Formats: sequence, structure tokens, C-alpha cells
Amino acid sequence: MPASSSKTPFFQLRKPVSRRQSLISALGIWVVFFGVWVFASSTGMVNELLVPAPQQVFATTFELFFGRGFASDVLISISRVIGAFAMAAAVAVPLGVLMGSFPAIEAIFSPFVSAWRYLPAPSFIPILLMWFGTGEAPKLALLFIGVIFFLITLIMDHTKNVREELVETALTLGAGRGTVVARVIFPAVLPDITVALRQMLAMAWTYLVIAEIVASTTGIGAMMMRARRFLNTDEILSGIIVIGVLGLGFDLLFAALHRWAFPYLRKAR
Amino acid sequence: MTVDAALEIRQITKAFDLGAGRSVTAVKDINFAVERNSICVLLGPSGCGKSTILRMMAGLETPTSGEIVIGGRTVDGPGRDRGMVFQAYTSFDWLSVRRNVEFGMKINGVAPAERHERAEHFINLVGLGKFADAYPSQLSGGMRQRVAIARTLANDPEVLLMDEPFGALDAETRWLMQELMIDVAEKTNTTMVIVTHDLEEAIFLADKIVFLSSHPGRVKEEIVPAFKNGKRIGDKERAVKLDGYAELESKLMHLMREEGRGIE
Repeated sequence: MPASSSKTPFFQLRKPVSRRQSLISALGIWVVFFGVWVFASSTGMVNELLVPAPQQVFATTFELFFGRGFASDVLISISRVIGAFAMAAAVAVPLGVLMGSFPAIEAIFSPFVSAWRYLPAPSFIPILLMWFGTGEAPKLALLFIGVIFFLITLIMDHTKNVREELVETALTLGAGRGTVVARVIFPAVLPDITVALRQMLAMAWTYLVIAEIVASTTGIGAMMMRARRFLNTDEILSGIIVIGVLGLGFDLLFAALHRWAFPYLRKAR
Repeated sequence: MTVDAALEIRQITKAFDLGAGRSVTAVKDINFAVERNSICVLLGPSGCGKSTILRMMAGLETPTSGEIVIGGRTVDGPGRDRGMVFQAYTSFDWLSVRRNVEFGMKINGVAPAERHERAEHFINLVGLGKFADAYPSQLSGGMRQRVAIARTLANDPEVLLMDEPFGALDAETRWLMQELMIDVAEKTNTTMVIVTHDLEEAIFLADKIVFLSSHPGRVKEEIVPAFKNGKRIGDKERAVKLDGYAELESKLMHLMREEGRGIE
């Protein structure tokens, strides 16, 4: 009897890990990351000016919020993302659902939307600045342009994936075209729309930072560009961390919304 | 033949366009009638176009020539008078069982009180009384088909069309569902057209079997299961033991074989 056969290997093909193990693994990778960072900065392996120690970055983050009114910058950034994203969603959701439901509507808008999708949104910054000046409008416009065409395409594709039998069932129950779209196709695709919005919100954050770095005096990105001028690397890193935490926060919020709004997707016991 | 027909199929031909000027004829010169309050089963080998015929009855496909007549009107699109149950599950996952069953009545403007009452009645008829407030994702495959059947019946169609409705279910559940359909037919007097390739299912359910040959689909023979003496048998175990059952089964098997060989 081979003794080795009773011992299960650490790496098992496609066997799920326990809760405890996944928690330890998740914490472990972060401990290693910060460990390397602390070690590198405290032993002088890296230039303290370019890579400040993590404890200093956290102290600076605290000071930014409570000593220097960073919260108002964060609020401005959040309101830009939410404002522009809401406008994009208000256009993309109905248009995407209609394009996915009626090939005639897809035939009109699809060639247009596809072309725009391949134009990098940041390339519009110079012209947006000329058109809208330096107020809120060019930032909102950049976020809007950066997100909407992908959102329309994603929602259209999800809508097309609504099973034909559901549509045909509704038709043989006596539903007209409008009823089929509003009462069957839309509710059927809504969970997928929520997922698409969640994915694209991350992209909106990317464009926000670009907009604020290039042309803004307010917001998280602008703070980071100011810090660069005074070689305050700790503030730049603070900005990055805050953006990361906000992104994660919104993602969790969307995940919670998904669970709350679509209880029927859970396999209940 | 001037029986009281709920549905008449008159000289139907359906060709599908394959592009590049080519087309394939799925069914050709189909004629038959479905008697009111009867169960008509379309049986045949795969490729005989039985589902195509059913879809044309539903108005989901348009015949290339010929016409389908229901209650004196020519079918020209889907409508609530011809409710359809599919093989794939079609429950609306975002609605409870009760609201699934009410769906057709709601979009057709049936008043709430009547709607609730009818939904209750048909949910109980298909044996889902305890699950009225469950979501479809909480139900088994057989139960989901019960929801689809109740939803269609509650909408009060003139004809219930079913396209291999139990094809995705395990043998035991399929048997129960077949007995349920006999029970439903007896209690509601609904005219049904059922497509299947399952011989047992055809013999057990049918008041009349329309056997189709393949490539292109034509009516090969209309068969009335004589051993039933014009009465439905609600118990499958009993039906199988009746005189004449085995003969009919071997006859249909022979027809199937004959058609199957034609393809090779």
C-alpha cells in the first residue's frame, strides 16, 4: 500500500478550495505585496522620494481627507462619473434593447455605433476642450463618448441572446410587438444589462482620471497632477488607492443591487 | 369529410430558401383536419417536417402555398386562439408561477378578479397548487412544463399546440405528464395538436395519429387507434395491456422503419 496516495496534493485540478483556504490565500498575497514594499523602502533599495513607504502613503491619505479637504475632490469625481454614466445608460439601455429586438433598428444604428467604438475617446479631448471650454461639460462629454458605444453594443448583444422560444410563447399568448419587448424581452435581459453596466462603470473611472489629469483643477486626477509638480509621490499613490477603493466600492454596490433586484436567479433550496 | 373541424390544413407546402437561388421543400401538399375537442398527434421520423407544420398552425411560419383555417379564418400570424407549448422551457423566470399563468390573461385585458380565479383553477388542474408563489428556477423540468401548460390553457385558446413538450423530461416524468394531458383534455375539452417522435406517446395520447413521411414531409396515413373504441384511457399501464395496442405499435414501428430506410 503506497503511503503517498493518502495525502492529497495542494494543487488539485478543478477542486474548489475551502472558505478558510481562500481567505488565507487572499490575505497572503496582500501580506507579501506590502511586505516587499515595506522591505524595499525601509532598506533603501528604492529611492524614498519615488517610492514612499506604505505607512507614509496611508498617513498622507488620512491627512489629505482630514486636513486638506480632499473629500470635496473625491465627491466631484464621483458626481462626474455618476452624472455622465447615468446619461450614457439612459440612451444606451433603450437603444440597445430596441436594436437587439428589431433588426430594422439594428440596421440603422449598428454601422454608426461600430465605427464610433473604434475611435479612442481620449483623442476627442482637444476638440472637446475647444467646444466646451474648461468647465464640467468636456469631462462629462469624454466619459459619455468613452462609455456609450460599448454599452449599446453589449446591451444589444445580450438582448439578441434572449431565447426565441420566450418571444414566440408571448406571441402565441396574443402579445403584440410592443408588449413582447416591454413585458418579455426587457425583463429577460435586465439581469445581463445590470452586469454590462457594472463592467462599463469601471471603464468610466478610467476616462474620468484621464479627463481630470489632462484638463481639470478639481477632482482626484487634478490633485494627483498637482502633487507631481511638488514631487509628492505619497499623494499620487494616495490618489491611486482612493480610486481603487471607490472602484471596488461601486462594483460591490452593483453586485448587491444585482442580488437584491433579481432574487429569482438564486437557486433556492 | 365534413366533421366539426377546429383546424383545417389545406394543401400546405412549405419551402425554405437556402440562398443562392436554391431551396428545400420541407413539407408538400399536406391536407388534414383536426376535429374539435380531439387530440391529434403528428408522428413521423425526424426530418418529416412535423414541427414545421405545427409552427405554421401557430402562425410562427408562413406556408409557401396552401392555407390553414381555424374557425373559418385563415391563419396569418400568431394569436391567442392558438397557444403553443415548446420543448424548451419557456417559463418567464422573473415571474412567480401564479403570475406566469396570469401573463396571457393580463396582456389580453382580463379583469383581475377573473384572472386570479382562472389562474388558481389551472394551477390546481396541473397539480402545482403548493407552488403557486414559487419562482420557475425553484421547480423541476416537469413542473416547469406544467406551468407552461397551465399558462397556455388559462389564456383560453381554441387549440393547444405542443411541440415535443415532454422530450426533455426523464421517462418517469414523461409518463406522468402524458396521463396529465389525458386528464386535462377530459376536463377542459381542449382541442390539442401534439408533435412527437415517440411511438408510445403517440398511441397513448392520440384520438387520431397523422403519420408523416419524410423528405419532403407528406401525409402517409391517418390512423385512429381502434383499440380505444372511441374512449380515452387515462392510465398508461392499462392502455399498454389492451388488445390491439401491440398491433398498432408494431404497425407504427414498421412505418417508421420504412421511412428511416428511405434516408439511407
